[in-house]
Amino acid sequence: MGNMKIKAKEKDGVVGVKAMFTSLMADKEEAEKKKIASEFITQIVAKNNGNVVFEVTTSGFMAENPLFKFSFKGKAGDKLEVTTTDNSGKTETETEVVK
Amino acid sequence: MFKLDLYKLITTSVALVLSSTLLYGGSDTSTLPGKYVSKMGAVDGGVTYPRKNGIYTAYRYNEQSTKGVNFGRLPTANELKAWDVDIMPDGTGLPDGEGSVSEGDELYEKQCSSCHGEFGAGGKGYPTLTGGNQEKLPNGVIKTLTNQRIEPGMEAPKRTIGTYWPKASTLIWYIRDAMPYAHPKSLSNNEIYAITAYLLAQDAIVIDGVEMDDEYVLNKEKLMKIKMPNENGFYPNIDGPNGVENVRKFFSDRAKNIGSGTRCMKDCKDLSTKGNEPTVMKIDNEITDVVPPYTTVRDLPPEIESKLESKAEKMYNDACKLCHGSDKMGAPVVGDIEAWNKVTQKGFEKVVHNAIDGMGGMPPKGGFENFTNSEVQMIVEFMINSSKKKQ
Repeated sequence: MGNMKIKAKEKDGVVGVKAMFTSLMADKEEAEKKKIASEFITQIVAKNNGNVVFEVTTSGFMAENPLFKFSFKGKAGDKLEVTTTDNSGKTETETEVVK
Repeated sequence: MFKLDLYKLITTSVALVLSSTLLYGGSDTSTLPGKYVSKMGAVDGGVTYPRKNGIYTAYRYNEQSTKGVNFGRLPTANELKAWDVDIMPDGTGLPDGEGSVSEGDELYEKQCSSCHGEFGAGGKGYPTLTGGNQEKLPNGVIKTLTNQRIEPGMEAPKRTIGTYWPKASTLIWYIRDAMPYAHPKSLSNNEIYAITAYLLAQDAIVIDGVEMDDEYVLNKEKLMKIKMPNENGFYPNIDGPNGVENVRKFFSDRAKNIGSGTRCMKDCKDLSTKGNEPTVMKIDNEITDVVPPYTTVRDLPPEIESKLESKAEKMYNDACKLCHGSDKMGAPVVGDIEAWNKVTQKGFEKVVHNAIDGMGGMPPKGGFENFTNSEVQMIVEFMINSSKKKQ
C-alpha cells in the first residue's frame, strides 16, 4: 500500500474514481507553526490508458490526506494511472484497474 | 474469569473489614472503651451510635440479623455462556467465517462510509479508522502518538486502528456487537470478517509478512496471527491471570516506571535567580464602562422613600385632612390610635355609613358631595389603616 488509495468503478459507461492521498499538506506557514518540515502535493495527474482524464494543481490550502472524487467515460478493465508530485519534486505513481 | 476473581477479592476484603471492626471494639483502652470522641468541626456533628456494653461507634451499627444473607449465587453454566461473548486476543470467541478485502470494500461503502468516511478517513463526529503514520521511534513508541498540543496549531496524537489499537480481535468484536450503528448485529460472520479485512488493509497491516491486497481473504487463523503496530504501546500488561501482579510490579517501582520528583509546596522557586523575580500582574485593558459601576462596597442599594400616594390618600388630603388632620375640630385625628379604636368599635359598616350620612359636626361625605359611596369607603379604610398600631 503506497501513499495513495484509489477506488475506480465503472457504471453505465462512466468510471467513478475516489482517491485519497497521504500527505500532511503543510505549506511553509503551517509547517513553521507546527514545527515540522513543509510537505504538500503540488500536482496530481490521472491517466486512463495513457489519456489524461484529471489534472489538478494543489498546495497547502488543502486538508491533510486529501480526498478526491472525479469521473470520466471509460469501461471496466481500463488501466488508471495516478501520479502525484510533491513540493520537493518527488513523484509517486500508482496504477489501478477499473472494476 | 475476571468477575469470579472479583468475587473472591470482595469476599476476602469484607471478611477482613469485619474482623478488624470486631478487634477494634475490644482492643481500644482509652477513657471509654470504643467510645467515639467527637472533635471540633466534625462533619457528622459528633453523632454516636450505641453498640454493645456501653461501646459507641461513629457509624450506625446494623442490628438486623444477617442470617441467610449472602452474595447471591454462582451463575449457572447457561448464564455464563450468555455473558461470555467477548472475542479475546487469543482467539477465544472468534466466529468461524472468512471474507476478502474487496468484499469488505463494497460492504464498507454501503454500511460504514456514510459516518466513518471514504477509506475510513473519518467523518464529522465519528471516529477516524485509518491513517496516521505508523513510523516508530527507536524505543518502539509510535511517533504520532507522542504528539502533544503544546503549541497552537500543533497536531494531537493520532489514534486510529493502525496506530493505536493493540489487538485486532477488538476490531472484529466491536464490528460484530455494535456496528453498523443504526442496526447492530445485522451482519453475518463472513461480512464482519470482510469489513475487518478491509479496515486492516486500509491501515496497511501486514499479516504474517503478507501485505493485504484486494483479493486477500481473512479468516480466523489469519486474524489470530496479526501483530498490531501498537501492540506493545500499553503497559503494564493487564491481561490474563498475571494482570494484577503485573500492575503491582509496575507501580512498586514508581521512580523507574512513572518518574518521581520532589514535592514542593512552599518557596519552590529560587527568587534570587535571574528570570525568577516576582512580578506584579496587572489587568492591561480593564473594562470600566459598566452600569452600575464596579464597587467593592458591600451594602444594599439605598431605599428610596415612596413618593407615590394612593388614590385614597390623595382624596383624604384634598377633602378630609382639614378637619381630621388635627384635633382642633374635635374630629378623630388620623394617627391617633386610641381615638380611632373608639370609632372602629362601632363596626366598619357603621363608620362608613356615618361618613356618608354625616355625624355630629361632620357634613355628609365631609361636604364633598361628588364623592361616590365607594370612594368614601376607600377613604375611611385608609384613615383606619393609618391609625393602627404599626406592626
